[in-house]
Amino acid sequence: MVKSKATLAIGIAAGALVLAACGGGSSDSGSSSPSASGSQGGEASSSSEASPSEAPAPSGDGQAGGTLTILSPAEQFLTLDPQVVYTGEDLGFLGATIMRSLTAYQVMPGDDEGTTLVPDMATDTGTVSNEGKTWQFTLRDGMKWEDGSPVTCEDVAYGTSRQFDVGLAEGGPVYAVTYLDIPVDEEGNSEYKGPTDGTGQELFDKAVSCDGNTITFNLNQPVPDFNYAVTLGFSAVPAGMATGPEYADKPMSNGPYKIQEYAKGKGGKLVLVRNENWSPDADPYRKAYPDSWVVNFGIEESVADQRVIQSSGEDEYAMVQGITTASLPIVFEDPVYEARRIDAYDPYTIYAAVNAQKVPDQKCRQAIGVALDREALRLNAGGDYAGDFADGAVKPNIGIDYAPTGLWDGLLGQPVPPTGDPEFAKKLLSEGKDCPTEITLDYAQSEDNDKAAAIWVESLARAGITVKPNPIERGQYYGVVFKDGNEVMLGGWGADWPNASTVLPPLFVQGWNLSQVDDKAFNEKVKAASVELDRNKQATMWQELSKEAAAQMWIVPTRFGKDQRLAGTKVGPIFSWAAYGSWPYPIMYAVQ
Amino acid sequence: MAGYVVRRVLIMILLLLLLTAAVFFLFSLLPADVARLTCGKICTDQTIEMNRMRLGLDKSVLEQYWIFLKGLVVGRTFGEGPAAVVCEAPCLGYSFTRNEPVLDLIVARLPPTIFLAMGAFVLFIIGGVSVGVYSALRRGRWQDKGVMGASLIGYSLPSFFIGLVAIYFVIIRWKLLPFPSYVPPWEDPVGFVQTMILPWVVLAILYAAFYTRLTRSQMLETLNEDYIRTARAKGLPERVVVRKHALRAGLTPIVTAAGLDFAGLLGGAIILETIFSLPGLGSLAVSAVLDPDLSILVGVTLVTATFIIVANLIVDLLYAVIDPRVRPS
Amino acid sequence: MATSEAVEAPATEPPEGPEEIQGRSLSQIAWGRLKRDKTFIASCIVLLIIVLVAIFAPFITGLIGVDPYSLDKEAISSSGGKPNGPWGGASLDHPLGVEWGTGRDILARLLYGLRISLLIATTATFLVVILGTLFGVISGYVRGFTDAAIGRFMDLILAFPFLLIILALSGAMTQRLTDLGVPEGNASRITYLILVLGIFGWPYLARIVRGEVLSLREREFVESAIAMGASSTRIIFREILPNLWAPILVYATLLLPTYIAVEAALSFLGVGILPPEPSFGAMLSESVQFFQLVPSYLFIPGTVLVIVVVAFNLAGDSVRDALDPKAVK
Repeated sequence: MVKSKATLAIGIAAGALVLAACGGGSSDSGSSSPSASGSQGGEASSSSEASPSEAPAPSGDGQAGGTLTILSPAEQFLTLDPQVVYTGEDLGFLGATIMRSLTAYQVMPGDDEGTTLVPDMATDTGTVSNEGKTWQFTLRDGMKWEDGSPVTCEDVAYGTSRQFDVGLAEGGPVYAVTYLDIPVDEEGNSEYKGPTDGTGQELFDKAVSCDGNTITFNLNQPVPDFNYAVTLGFSAVPAGMATGPEYADKPMSNGPYKIQEYAKGKGGKLVLVRNENWSPDADPYRKAYPDSWVVNFGIEESVADQRVIQSSGEDEYAMVQGITTASLPIVFEDPVYEARRIDAYDPYTIYAAVNAQKVPDQKCRQAIGVALDREALRLNAGGDYAGDFADGAVKPNIGIDYAPTGLWDGLLGQPVPPTGDPEFAKKLLSEGKDCPTEITLDYAQSEDNDKAAAIWVESLARAGITVKPNPIERGQYYGVVFKDGNEVMLGGWGADWPNASTVLPPLFVQGWNLSQVDDKAFNEKVKAASVELDRNKQATMWQELSKEAAAQMWIVPTRFGKDQRLAGTKVGPIFSWAAYGSWPYPIMYAVQ
Repeated sequence: MAGYVVRRVLIMILLLLLLTAAVFFLFSLLPADVARLTCGKICTDQTIEMNRMRLGLDKSVLEQYWIFLKGLVVGRTFGEGPAAVVCEAPCLGYSFTRNEPVLDLIVARLPPTIFLAMGAFVLFIIGGVSVGVYSALRRGRWQDKGVMGASLIGYSLPSFFIGLVAIYFVIIRWKLLPFPSYVPPWEDPVGFVQTMILPWVVLAILYAAFYTRLTRSQMLETLNEDYIRTARAKGLPERVVVRKHALRAGLTPIVTAAGLDFAGLLGGAIILETIFSLPGLGSLAVSAVLDPDLSILVGVTLVTATFIIVANLIVDLLYAVIDPRVRPS
Repeated sequence: MATSEAVEAPATEPPEGPEEIQGRSLSQIAWGRLKRDKTFIASCIVLLIIVLVAIFAPFITGLIGVDPYSLDKEAISSSGGKPNGPWGGASLDHPLGVEWGTGRDILARLLYGLRISLLIATTATFLVVILGTLFGVISGYVRGFTDAAIGRFMDLILAFPFLLIILALSGAMTQRLTDLGVPEGNASRITYLILVLGIFGWPYLARIVRGEVLSLREREFVESAIAMGASSTRIIFREILPNLWAPILVYATLLLPTYIAVEAALSFLGVGILPPEPSFGAMLSESVQFFQLVPSYLFIPGTVLVIVVVAFNLAGDSVRDALDPKAVK
């Protein structure tokens, strides 16, 4: 297993989000999401609330003018650097306002419609040649930066090259580093060190070249869905502009808005106003209805919920990016809120990673999963609102890569009820070799997670396993567990686009491998699936691997997450954008 | 007197030096890796290494302390080359999670904290002292007993409990006020007052209880003094006796306590700022704990402690002015 | 002075001046007064009940058939984890209702929380009494340079924004304690809280004790002991300490409830007791989310907390009045 520094970085970004999402601070969270065709399986999807796909399509056209406000419990954006942004919510919001990319996802209700790829800066969704190893995109005419200068092909290449600057782009997506045809050294690090350092610039220029308005990417392997990858970290930055870490606070906009004010922390806000140099002719994708956007930071979640519930005064134009469990009954048991609430699947699978280095025996890991009371965990997270019981790392809304693994229906030898099966767990423990009877549970501290930990303690005690809860400061969580994780670590992961290649390899090979899995045979099979060009065949391979991973119990999958939101009375349209599990930012408007 | 002032100021400066040293020492007791506490949520080995170098954490604690002190006087530069960050004097440190000098962050957070402290201070001093005087003048009667009982309960109420109760009734149940959302008074005076009124009152209740009791006991003591009897015997109206003589003589401990409490409040009312979503020093500190951002923590600790030390000095000097009897040799 | 609002009221030292201590008969006088003080008797009965309930919490909860850890999925709704029924699902099985999302029994959690709270507050108070007396006596008896050094050291400690420091150091210091051999988990968390409260709390008491010792030194019986050539140890233990218990007792009774509130405040901010152990602060902090639908989450632990604190304060007040020779009752 290669564990380069860059891989660690990705994981942290994506995980941090998910962490925030599960930890009750749902706002700045979530890695980018995929979700595609495929309906949610399982009885739990029969939640009483309308799923987003059933929600009425946005009625009529939006109205221009006004200000839309987001009430966020986060204290700041993790980053505004286009090469580093990696959370679904932020990709959705910043992409809609200040940060264009070559391609983008259609903004429509529905799992399929909302993840359909459409052109953004490019005139189409890309042309592939050379058996999937060369991709070309042609840029639109008339695109401008906020200072009036034109957006060029070189700007896109420059932005892409910034992904190679580890000091700068840490924590961001690394698909350029992974896929571009640039040699790597023995340790797996790219020989190109980014535009500031300049080492290996000619290697990059060979891999990414501009011909007038057309940019060409040469890849090191066939990537049939590379045009999805370019939504992550390939955004333009003015070529040659010296962009240090401070660019993360002051990025140059090429979207319909620009930053007027950005103050972090409680009481701080991000204010976006119209970018006069943006032209709708060069951007058919964004509607840019409101005159400005405001993100208010550090608003206590329950207070934010209340403000939007009451929706009086300026809060008529406010929205939240998640609802606390306590507010759910208020919002979902009263039809008054029906027109302005959302209840939809988000991109995340919630799980507990079992450290394969500390619990090497498969039976011992299985015993942990079997003993766990997943029903109590789901109840604690909000019951039906929290999502369905998960049967593996791959979530059904990814599309064809999902098939039920049967994990709890006999894959382990006998069915396991959602409440756990202490007797079966004891049996597995006795069969396993040197199973630990005392394990430590790492989790990012929050009130909900404190209670989840209590459930772990109670339910594993039934099988004779003592659990010691180890809460870790939220901000430090992934930093700590990637360094010295204990036996079990709570986490969550969402796919980057509708392909299990953005789920299974990061979780069990490299990238977000909390479980520290190092299984050579499994790695080989993952590699084979990754380069398989026949999409249906690839899907079958992923389904098999997902089943194998489930039986290994490298993670105990607990939940396929759901997400609820609420907006003020004068916000539209109301539906969940499946691409990011977020608000449909590019087409939102304030009712005048 | 001048000598006394000079001596006290010198002691204060010494104390401040000791304090910065103590803060440095305390935080260097932190776990293995201080650098990890400087890079916020997205924390990778590169950032950690870069911050270690920028902050000079590879140097000894003593050396770091010296660099820090120098930064206070002449400013300092973190790191070198293109990634260098300049922090002008007085440099309290630089936050790498927010890309701003710590002093700027603190200054930006001061207004809400100062407004909270001043508003509550006015309320609790006026309320506490007048109720205390009233209570003392009716010593032993039912009014006095009522006031004493109420103040004891007020004194016992945990701030977060009464803050939450206030929010529950005033905002959620009765909908008398909107949810707190801080705006500076010059932008929206009405919104400002709507946000601040609850925290002011809550803080005032907590503190007023103490001042009521303090004032009452001071008054009772002085009202028994001979010169008060003399004043009364002279036929002075009771109002004059109370205001000019009794209250004034009993003022010293009240001034002492008030000065120190005000300084403490300037350090940020952590819990109330958290509950009422005020973007003050207290909530800056809490987010620095959670972030984590050690530079901010050190900065806030020092600034808060400085307020207290300076207030101590001012109180001591005032003390000498108000009550000539205690003037030191 | 490190007045933090967590102390719920100005943490300035109790305002009483040096008390006139009239030989050993004082305790008898005081006891005589206390026996006639109805408030004192009443608050003592309440305190007695509270302490007994806390000590026998496991027995009581066992009797009712509840415990603070068991999940009860029957008691909460499957769609959102909300307790079934009003008042947090209060029923015969769960007299005070159950927790949202898990169905754990509120009464049991309250009683166990009370236990831990009292444990921390009493131990920390004890530590303050030991440290405060030790440094106060040394400072007052030895005087001179030692006195000055201790005095400045106390100023330094008092200048620290102590709530902030507790927050900032909690993670790291708990780890340190574990490294030193304190069992990890709640054992080291509790130890940390007790130590920090003790270390930042003693200077107030030390100042009071120092003042007492200074005045005692001038009294005839001490002077004559010195003149007779008695050793310092003998003078301190035989002549001085026995005369200090009154102010110390008063201070301790008033400090204890403050610490109960501070412990709750710390858990409220997230640096208290680890789950699944219950604590007041954590219960209150969680209530914020739910109090619109289940106000009892806020009011039950809040009220119990206030009753405990008020009872201690009332008792402490009575003790102080009883020990004050000047008190007119």
